[in-house]
Amino acid sequence: MSIEPITGRYVTATMSGAPRRIYFEEAGQGRPVICLHTAGADTRQWRHLMNDAEITASYRLIAFDMPWHGKSLPPEGFETQEYLLTTEAYIETVLAVVDCLGLDRPVLAGCSMGGRIALQIAALHPEKFSGFIAIEASDFQPAWYDIDWFHRPDAHGGEMGAALVSANISPFAPNSERWNTLWMFMQSGPGVFRGDLSFYTKDDSLIPRLPTIDTAKTPVHIIVGAYDLTCTPEDAERTANAIPGATLAVMDELGHFPMSEHPEGFRPFFVDALEKMPSPAAKTT
Amino acid sequence: MTHTLAGMADGFAIVAAFAQLINAWEAKVIDTFTHIQTRLEVTPHLLRLGRLFSETVLIEVGGDEFYLTFDKGHIVSVVEGPSRKTPWRFALRTDSEALTKFWQARPEPGFHDIFGLVKIGRGRVDGDILNLVKNLRFFKEVLTLARAKEELVA
Repeated sequence: MSIEPITGRYVTATMSGAPRRIYFEEAGQGRPVICLHTAGADTRQWRHLMNDAEITASYRLIAFDMPWHGKSLPPEGFETQEYLLTTEAYIETVLAVVDCLGLDRPVLAGCSMGGRIALQIAALHPEKFSGFIAIEASDFQPAWYDIDWFHRPDAHGGEMGAALVSANISPFAPNSERWNTLWMFMQSGPGVFRGDLSFYTKDDSLIPRLPTIDTAKTPVHIIVGAYDLTCTPEDAERTANAIPGATLAVMDELGHFPMSEHPEGFRPFFVDALEKMPSPAAKTT
Repeated sequence: MTHTLAGMADGFAIVAAFAQLINAWEAKVIDTFTHIQTRLEVTPHLLRLGRLFSETVLIEVGGDEFYLTFDKGHIVSVVEGPSRKTPWRFALRTDSEALTKFWQARPEPGFHDIFGLVKIGRGRVDGDILNLVKNLRFFKEVLTLARAKEELVA
């Protein structure tokens, strides 16, 4: 028997004037790192890094489920709402969780839509964080699919979503982790993946904000997998080039969900990214 | 240009050799689809996933047409075209080099998935795409049955 060091708890934060019960997991001690999951998934994508004793010896990794995702319930009255994530609501959620947990300038690491919002926050609220790790993140991605496919009364959106996003997983990923990654999409609530994709594929407001990011104060490191069809290395490179001082790493054998699909392959890139984030104390010397 | 009998004979030989190559390629593709058909019959989880799938799918490879007809998840026929009389639900159009790369155990980026082929401009999906998406896991895994079993990926 082995009990993992990851602990899960709930915090109630106020968002859009109403309370939201947010599920979060954490592991480790030291410098806090907020980890954001991708569209249509939840905190479980970060399970491997949170179980990595070497990393959690000096970092406190915290991942939370966005409202509507994982174990965070949708808001009261959701049964008559159409879930459509917005940049504003996403930023408000991340900042509210950081405030509720009393975190002092954590590192913000996000994947896919989490990476997109990390870059938005790097542009709009850099003072709240000490650095940004944007994984499979780009300035803007129009949909190469019809997002309405994933919320229909005559088919299972989760199964279709999983079948589509499997295109973004590297053939080098261990088969068990490929399917663990896809399972989260299969479990996603009705319309949630579509609502996330609406944000991801329609809001291009980040593009003009990228040059305003001050990487001298808060570094930005972008990581991208060569097998990512949604955010290609070319997309990530274009994005990094638009941010003065941003750095980029390309992972030849990984895809769109690196921390979940191929944890062993992703680990050195994540460790390298953490090392690129100077601590807040070091910045003032 | 001067046409000699010897030159014409050389020309016919080249055309014949080329035709032989084409025929060999088409036979290879047919063999591969037949291999997929056989593998599918011994892959119970795919037969279960495809139990509601009874459609004809057109796979076009470099202009050559192949019609795969499914009945309740089983491939019941693999027929080479061209045919204007065979209705199909959706089509995957690609080229021979791309399909060869797709069938490698660990394809290079873009060649690892049918939507990857589309994204890199080496494939096109036509017809009832929603029907494809509803059966996407089944169809993608069926196509990858031609990859080595121990390294099968969807």
